Amino acid sequence: MTLATSAESAVDQGSVDIAFGGVGEPGTRLLAGPEPGSGAESLTAHQARLGAWPDVEADRKALLDVLDLSGLRGRGGGSFPAAVKMAAAAGGQGRPLLVVNASESEPASAKDATLVGLRPHLVLDGARILARAAGADEVSLVLHRGNRAGQLALSGALSERARADLDDPEMTVTLGPDRYVAGEASAVVSLLEGGEAKPRFTSRRPAALHGVHGRPTLIYNAETTAHAGLLARFGAQWFRRAGTAERPGSTLVTLAGAVARPGRVLEVMAPVSMGRLLGAAGLDQPPAAVLLGGYAGAWLDGATTWDLPFSHAALGHAGASIGCGVLGVLPASACGLAETARLVTYLAGESAGQCGPCVFGLAELAAIFEALALGQASRADLRRLHRRAVGIEGRGACRHPDGVVGLVQSALRVFAPDVRRHLRGRSCGTTGGPIFPIPPTTGGWR
Amino acid sequence: MRITVDPVRCEGHGICCLFFAERIDLDDWGYAAVDPAPFDDSRLARKARRAVAACPEGALAIELTGTPAAPRRR
Repeated sequence: MTLATSAESAVDQGSVDIAFGGVGEPGTRLLAGPEPGSGAESLTAHQARLGAWPDVEADRKALLDVLDLSGLRGRGGGSFPAAVKMAAAAGGQGRPLLVVNASESEPASAKDATLVGLRPHLVLDGARILARAAGADEVSLVLHRGNRAGQLALSGALSERARADLDDPEMTVTLGPDRYVAGEASAVVSLLEGGEAKPRFTSRRPAALHGVHGRPTLIYNAETTAHAGLLARFGAQWFRRAGTAERPGSTLVTLAGAVARPGRVLEVMAPVSMGRLLGAAGLDQPPAAVLLGGYAGAWLDGATTWDLPFSHAALGHAGASIGCGVLGVLPASACGLAETARLVTYLAGESAGQCGPCVFGLAELAAIFEALALGQASRADLRRLHRRAVGIEGRGACRHPDGVVGLVQSALRVFAPDVRRHLRGRSCGTTGGPIFPIPPTTGGWR
Repeated sequence: MRITVDPVRCEGHGICCLFFAERIDLDDWGYAAVDPAPFDDSRLARKARRAVAACPEGALAIELTGTPAAPRRR
């Protein structure tokens, strides 16, 4: 099977040339192209840069093979193999539906908004490819209502494609509420059925098997989708030259917190050290701590993390996950417990309010953590915090409570010396902060 | 088989744990916390079915383990 096209040499010189790069930097894949200030790349520019559609496009079996061989994993946070999800949909009943999930809910994440806003055709190419591979003739693109730039870029790109008569599957944009859990798969299914974007208890019936109105529904994150578009053009071998064996392909990260430019998106091509990545964020020495994977991610100690490679395995071993790619920096001037308390309070408020353990459990975690941050918690409170964290894990319809539990447990681990100081009622002497922005909680779930 | 609880439906009536204490406990707020450990003897299966029938919210279900979930009839 040959997948090489004339454009391949323009994009790939045989191996990855750079460890990472930002928007418009040569050597990147998803971010290559026009400079950040240029707005959404036009269809003409996109096609001139990447070349014509590969022959493989019409061959469903070949597309499934490429997807499988690539080892592409989901970039929304779950890291689920894209090909396995697609295979699961084959067991469902009815015509499959392809959903591109660009409802980027992590407040510190900007990678999906960057892709949709600046490289809409990369995402739409991927949607077309995944739809063909799945045998779907309909694509739903889901965005948060607050992502105005993304909506403009997508509607512009969709009309360009309609004029160019590209023979795309039918593509429609659906707007969801700006809520943290509204981008969760079962919440997206509910939204697309015309309901509230709240998670559902799906147990052993994932959306891929039984999604929107019972149809097999393949939900891929916007970055995953964009990768799929390039994959079909350049092949699985090309794809695997970036990334690591267990998580092939490049990965988008968003820098957050005490960095030179919060919200800056980088594409990591090779397992570069965290120190070098953080160097690009303006740091010349290890920070107090790193928040990895978003607000419901995990803290890592700054000094030990500095020399770790940015890889799924190394960071997983350290107790964190790349998740949605947020790389947040906590400076020595800020209190990790106070930051965690703010994040937990925000996340508790973002519960959909459906499951008892989430509603009551997260509220209690937030209350205890706030007391701890203020130096007003007792050892009994801390024991209750541990007990509650264990008690609510795995007990929601979605993984929202689990994410908060992970954040809390990592904070107690990484900031253990601060915990001891705060328990003695002493201030930790930090004045910096707040570091991580908390978005306002908006009402409504539709 | 094993017992599952839909946490969206569970309102914390707490009746289920009276029927099937071997797998269902109530948390501090009164919501059902189920033990996902599989069981196959008829005594536990009978208790599980009673617990499922007793839930006013229809939140409990018995799931077959080892085989994939059957596609729902349309």
